[in-house]
Amino acid sequence: MTGKERMLTAFDRREPDRVPVWEMAFNEESIIKLGKFYTDDLPPMKFAQQMTMEEKVKLLNTLFTVARELELDGITSIGLLGTEPVDDEHVKDGWGRILRVSEEGEATAVGGPISDPSDLRGLKAYHPQPTDFLMLMASVGNLGDGVAQVLVQPGPFRESWSLLGSMEKLLYHYVKNPGFVKDLAQVATDYILEVVDMAADNGADIIALDGDLAFNQTTLMSPAQYEEYVFPYHQQITAHAHRRGLLIFKHSDGNMWPIMDGIVDAGFDGFHPVQPQCMDIGEVKRKYGDRLCILGNIDCTYLLPFGSEEEVEESVRETIRVAAPGGGYVISSSNSIHPGCKPENYIAMVRAARKYGVYPIDVEG
Amino acid sequence: MREILEAIGKAIVEGEEEETRRLVEEALQGGVDPRKILEDAMMPAMEDIGERFSRGEAFIPELIVAAEAMQRGMEALKPRLAEGERGRGLVVLGTVQGDIHSIGKNLVRMCLEGAGFEVVDIGEDVKTERFVEAYREHRPDILGLSALLSSTMQRIPEVIEAVRAEDSGALIMVGGAPVTQEFADRSGADGYAPNAFEAARKAKELLG
Ligand code: B12
Repeated sequence: MTGKERMLTAFDRREPDRVPVWEMAFNEESIIKLGKFYTDDLPPMKFAQQMTMEEKVKLLNTLFTVARELELDGITSIGLLGTEPVDDEHVKDGWGRILRVSEEGEATAVGGPISDPSDLRGLKAYHPQPTDFLMLMASVGNLGDGVAQVLVQPGPFRESWSLLGSMEKLLYHYVKNPGFVKDLAQVATDYILEVVDMAADNGADIIALDGDLAFNQTTLMSPAQYEEYVFPYHQQITAHAHRRGLLIFKHSDGNMWPIMDGIVDAGFDGFHPVQPQCMDIGEVKRKYGDRLCILGNIDCTYLLPFGSEEEVEESVRETIRVAAPGGGYVISSSNSIHPGCKPENYIAMVRAARKYGVYPIDVEG
Repeated sequence: MREILEAIGKAIVEGEEEETRRLVEEALQGGVDPRKILEDAMMPAMEDIGERFSRGEAFIPELIVAAEAMQRGMEALKPRLAEGERGRGLVVLGTVQGDIHSIGKNLVRMCLEGAGFEVVDIGEDVKTERFVEAYREHRPDILGLSALLSSTMQRIPEVIEAVRAEDSGALIMVGGAPVTQEFADRSGADGYAPNAFEAARKAKELLG
């Protein structure tokens, strides 16, 4: 089977020849550290936003080399929205959002074009540009049809709060201005639908709908608020992805139990990353394994940053034992290979997945 | 009087900012002791919503609007409180270096304010030296450190050590998703709390 066939079979909740291995994201630093195992031709250690075009190309090639060497079954591309520098710590994107960059991982919006409901009418929507999909195009060109091409796109919740420059502001309006919140979610959704179209046109197989909806304790909004302010937009997006022949799964860290039924009903094909501090993957498999492909769960908080390679192997073994039988499981970390993760541990994770992930699964409890 | 105090509490719990402010003003005009308004109406309301948040019966949006209403009420109340009664104490709060997660820290700020503390929020990705500077500048009763990554959390003991070099008696509270009571103890912190409401409780406890 090719990597892509493996991923698609897992999404179909059937057993491929082995458990597919894929990752939602690798930060720049992680790509370079992993790249050192396989090539000398590396870009300098910087954020992508600060790299020259040539350095960015080198970063992508390093990622593709790592994917090829480790025989990853899927690869994730991000939209490369053009940004312009504001100062040392901030950049501005096409929507006019100010993002704070950080050495320890992805940027966050700290200022947006909308500060008040009345600003929505004057908002100039950003439309996806072909150049936003350069990473996807490069990935398709480089790795071809043998791997599943995943495109990550923030969902309506994340896009909405980014446009306001703060999640707290959006959650405030959840109580105060329901009409505004819905209009804003629709603006975000219209944009996301355009992204889905362009992803399909440019060779994506799967959409990863990013944007956390939960934290350690519970969901960031109440289940009723999810139903009203997020669910209908999720439905529009999954329906459109399916119309365009794409699979789509929801990514959210944290304790998602209060809204898991909603995630299924909204039409998602899968759920990632089942953060082990908050959710038990065995229970997720039992309750939703017949309706969702499950992705993730290898701990990136303590295990991948501080654990030993043996501990990683043991965790992979145990996770495969619980989640892989019957199919419908894709192995990955519990969020991403962020700069804190030891590259050796990631490689150990992939190796262990190959060792224990052969179907039919034969791992003792 | 009980009626108006109850109405103020209800307005806060429901996040009615204008109503809260209006009722506080009305109570003040009616001659109700400002301290009584704060301690018997406003703080218990925040306590109520915080407790429900802790139990998973209220969610972040409800907590945020209640905190906003509390703030609005405080604007009317503050000028009428005597200097010494203005707050339970001063807290300087920030997220450690390398970490840009802000939401948890901001919620802690809201709950501390709701419990009557004054808070100076020094933001995210705060370098250790900056914590020391802010400590020197504000001489807070409590310093609060937030960290959301297992890697940046390692900065906590470093900040504690640097601040204690400035003031060996500095009271320091820590929290954030990966932080545990055990880690807090090992780092030499005086307090830990798993959520924003408990953080406010802990701060009160620390100041006795
Ligand atoms: C939202 C979020 C983000 C947003 C942050 C937006 C923002 N402006 O804050 C974005 C998308 C930008 C982000 C980025 C990243 N994130 Co993040 N993120 C989260 C998420 C989903 C929720 C955090 C949150 O806001 N919670 C809501 C608040 C209310 O809860 P809280 O923060 O826990 O705070 C409460 C308590 O902890 C406590 N508390 C907090 N501070 C303090 C302080 C004191 C003094 C006290 C007493 C109490 C206290 O009270 C608060 C209220 O009750 C968590 C998942 C999780 N389970 O927590 C991951 C998580 C924290 N992120 C994670 C990761 C890996 C990242 C990235 C590295 C991803 C990447 N590869 O780039 C980057 C790092 C960016 C950086 N340099 O900091 C991992 C951390 C793993 C680790 N290493 O430990 C987590 C745990 C997810 C996971 N699946 O593992 N993230």
